[in-house]
Amino acid sequence: MLVLSRQRDETIMIGDEVEITIVDIRGDKVRLGIAAPREIQVHRKEVYEAIRRENADAARVQVDDLPAGDRPLQAHHRSRPGDAQGVRRRPVKP
Amino acid sequence: MRIETSRFGNVDVDEARTIRFTKGLLGFPGYTDFVLLEAGDESSFWWLQSTQKPDLAFVVTDPGLFVPTYKVPVREPQLTDLGAGSPDEVQVFVIVNKRENMLTGNLQGPLVVSVHQRLGEQLVLSDRRFTTRVPLMEIGSKMHAASA
Repeated sequence: MLVLSRQRDETIMIGDEVEITIVDIRGDKVRLGIAAPREIQVHRKEVYEAIRRENADAARVQVDDLPAGDRPLQAHHRSRPGDAQGVRRRPVKP
Repeated sequence: MRIETSRFGNVDVDEARTIRFTKGLLGFPGYTDFVLLEAGDESSFWWLQSTQKPDLAFVVTDPGLFVPTYKVPVREPQLTDLGAGSPDEVQVFVIVNKRENMLTGNLQGPLVVSVHQRLGEQLVLSDRRFTTRVPLMEIGSKMHAASA
């Protein structure tokens, strides 16, 4: 990790397109201003990590985890209301 | 098109129904294409099934069914990226998880999908009122009734 010291109003550049400015320093809290192109998402790391972990956990859910009424009786998949075309399932030929 | 799924076997889906998450979902960056499959009759839940990885699927739901106060801010640049003309053209889903007997929703990382262009993105909300595990529905009692 690169460690730099900056004072209020000073800026760091990351690559050509990302800028981080120290907007304010108050006690233990630093306010950072981040300028980055739209396609680069900027998030507090702990929130990003929490979502990433939750996605990984949720990916383990199986059909049996849902209430009985919510399991496909014969895996037929109808259109959602308002859909012009839905999901159709044909039996797999033996 | 026919897709392979680990949970439902081979399923025929209309390719036009594909939802593309151009950045993938957090933690699953390589998988962009998904379809929505219904979970069953009168269900509040759908399966968001990857068309690229048979065992990759998420239960999703409309958070408005469970948390009426939940609102997801979608900014202009995000609307543009999704090809949506207005927030009315965007549908919000949340990924559902199961912990013990509770189904929970990740309201901190909702999925927003443009209904016409069928482009999606997982947002990271900074509003700390909503967590990654908001209780939606307890399932223990319903399962007992079903087996009676």
